[in-house]
Amino acid sequence: MNSFASRFATTGHIQELKRAQANAEDDEFSDAAWGSEAGFGSLAKGVPSFSVPTVPDPSAFLRLHTDDHADPKCRIKIQHGTTTLAFRFQGGVIVAVDSRATAGSYIASGTVKKVIEINPYLLGTMAGGAADCQYWETYLGIHCRLHELRNRERISVSAASKYLSNLVYSYKGMGLSMGTMICGWDKTGPRIFYVDSDGTRLAGDLFSVGSGSTFAYGVLDQGYRWDLTDEEAQELGRRSIYAAGHRDAFSGNTCNLYHVKEDGWTFIGNYDISKLHYDGPNNVDGAGYGYEVRVGSRSQ
Amino acid sequence: MAAASVYSSPGFDFSNQIRNNFLTDKGLPLPKATSTGTTIVGCLFDDGIILGADTRATEGPIVADKNCEKIHYITESIRCCGAGTAADTEFVTNLISSNMEMHALTHGRKPRVVTAMTMLKQYLFRYQGHVGAALVLGGVDSTGPNLFTIHPHGSTDKLPYVTMGSGSLAAMAVFESGWKANMSREDALQLVKDAIAAGIFNDLGSGSNIDACIITANHTEMLRNVEMPNERAKKEKSYGFRRGTTDWKSEVIRKLVLSEEVTPIGGGDAMDTS
Amino acid sequence: MSIMQYNGGSVIAMVGKDCVAIASDLRLGNQALGISANFQKIFPVSDRIYLGLPGLATDVTTLVNMYTIKEEREIEPETFAHLVSSTLYERRFGPYFIEPVMAGLSKTPSGSFKPFIAATDLIGCLNFAKDFVVAGTASEKLFGVAEGLWEPDMEPEDLFETISQTMLNAVDRDAYSGWGVVVHVM
Repeated sequence: MNSFASRFATTGHIQELKRAQANAEDDEFSDAAWGSEAGFGSLAKGVPSFSVPTVPDPSAFLRLHTDDHADPKCRIKIQHGTTTLAFRFQGGVIVAVDSRATAGSYIASGTVKKVIEINPYLLGTMAGGAADCQYWETYLGIHCRLHELRNRERISVSAASKYLSNLVYSYKGMGLSMGTMICGWDKTGPRIFYVDSDGTRLAGDLFSVGSGSTFAYGVLDQGYRWDLTDEEAQELGRRSIYAAGHRDAFSGNTCNLYHVKEDGWTFIGNYDISKLHYDGPNNVDGAGYGYEVRVGSRSQ
Repeated sequence: MAAASVYSSPGFDFSNQIRNNFLTDKGLPLPKATSTGTTIVGCLFDDGIILGADTRATEGPIVADKNCEKIHYITESIRCCGAGTAADTEFVTNLISSNMEMHALTHGRKPRVVTAMTMLKQYLFRYQGHVGAALVLGGVDSTGPNLFTIHPHGSTDKLPYVTMGSGSLAAMAVFESGWKANMSREDALQLVKDAIAAGIFNDLGSGSNIDACIITANHTEMLRNVEMPNERAKKEKSYGFRRGTTDWKSEVIRKLVLSEEVTPIGGGDAMDTS
Repeated sequence: MSIMQYNGGSVIAMVGKDCVAIASDLRLGNQALGISANFQKIFPVSDRIYLGLPGLATDVTTLVNMYTIKEEREIEPETFAHLVSSTLYERRFGPYFIEPVMAGLSKTPSGSFKPFIAATDLIGCLNFAKDFVVAGTASEKLFGVAEGLWEPDMEPEDLFETISQTMLNAVDRDAYSGWGVVVHVM
């Protein structure tokens, strides 16, 4: 039996697992008494634990089968291509993402939701491993709610993103792959945090993540001002995702646009990138963003 | 570019090799060429030879051609089935066919099957297996019926019944259990068809239809698609799109039939000879 | 990644009733980056032969220059297919990274025209299909869609719809093809 001090001394998932095990030993109630926990492990006992393949080095084993850069024939392909962006301005936060999922050159889906609605005040974006992002950002949502219940106030974006950052850091080197932006509005106003699976956590005004991010940054940097109106800001987000979806082979199909204001986020709309190319956001024939569309017959 | 129309040396052109090796070293693998997974067979019967082949050509896991011809013409009474790299079997049999014709014209008599066999094995040996052709060569000449297999490195066999390709095991199983010396033409054809069918149904590299070729001393009968056991059922309904479904940005119509009207104007200017 | 995916692009040819069609996408890429939306991959060889060349763009340009130099006279589609095949096989051990697709109308002894399509692999193995031939980065998808949509004896108008929809739907599932399509119906 561990001493009382060691059971509560450190954080990090290994310690938490040990603690969970120790708790399980002197737990009088079975897990079933608390009802379903939806695959998120025993929430009462901290970080969920995963079954690990019985090989000497599980993370090397996973890398061997998922790293398609080293071996294009690897069996498990993790979603790579994406464009996501978020920026802060006078009117809140704009979050815009594309919707393409690719497996090699094959476009596996054109209708992926890459914005994860953590709660009415928090949004997370998805780049890298789709499953990693979905699971851990949902898990983050659970803990944000627990925070509210415990402290009688909403969690700050800073605290929520740090929770996620610390969590993925405790799994560093084990194959998690995520590049995400946690966006929301708290007491301090609109906030954006970039969090990735290396453990990086950055606060900032403007981020773009994914294979198409360079294209999105190009448009974003050019058009960004703090005092953008709501309409101008939404248009900038949409136009940036269009640019990435057009030029980058691994981004595209549609753009999902969100606006976070003081009273929580609202979904602005879903825009087909081909439609944006030819007809623009207002669906006017020939008023698209496309180069040839604007140049018209002068293009050869 | 090298002056293509002026002079080009005979044989293969290796000028892209440096570039391509560079690309391979960079980790960009060579794309797959069409290959014939293939079941090809040949067997002797009382007065001749029957060759058989399936008709599937593959590119990795994709069926590139559902009804290709694998029994190649060498001379009127000699034919050759090819397995392996499809382009190689096609060109090597074509080359030897030409050389056999030249041979016949030079010597004024029909060349023998061994001649073709020797030409093929010498050619393949010279390329040390890089020309990936696995062949079943059969025909009837002044010495009677002859049947050979030729492997990509140049080795040959002379046997009364032979199989090659990825379906060779399935086909050989049929031959081993069913072949008898001095079979009738009908029995032999049935055996060849059964052997190819075994390949078609049991080997994933082989498929579609059966081709056969019966060669006797004074007649060669090419039976293209003698059996079609995998015919596609007719579609119950049409999936045709209504005209006007596809929108387009611009349309150009090129008329190939030109109507020209020539109107002579005056006497014409004097020719400028400066 | 394969060298065939470096620039991307796809071509398909289909047979109809006394007509043929050949279509290609218009994208020229540098891996994931789209460069041009107006890169021709189909070239007229004569009035009645069109040649589609998907693959490595530098080799496309090299070969197109070569054929325009070599051929300044009428040539039958079958003959031309063999010329393409031989040219590629000459470089059996150092190939051009292209998979040509040809569509044309060949003259019959009676003076009428018969539809003709053919394709070769990168070392010149000819494939004379009776229905359709495909090549390029979206070839697997094209095979699938064409296998479902093609039917015998289509009139030119119907052939246009079928080849266009085949191309459009296949290309929408391929990251390396797209950015517009051009269709030629003969």
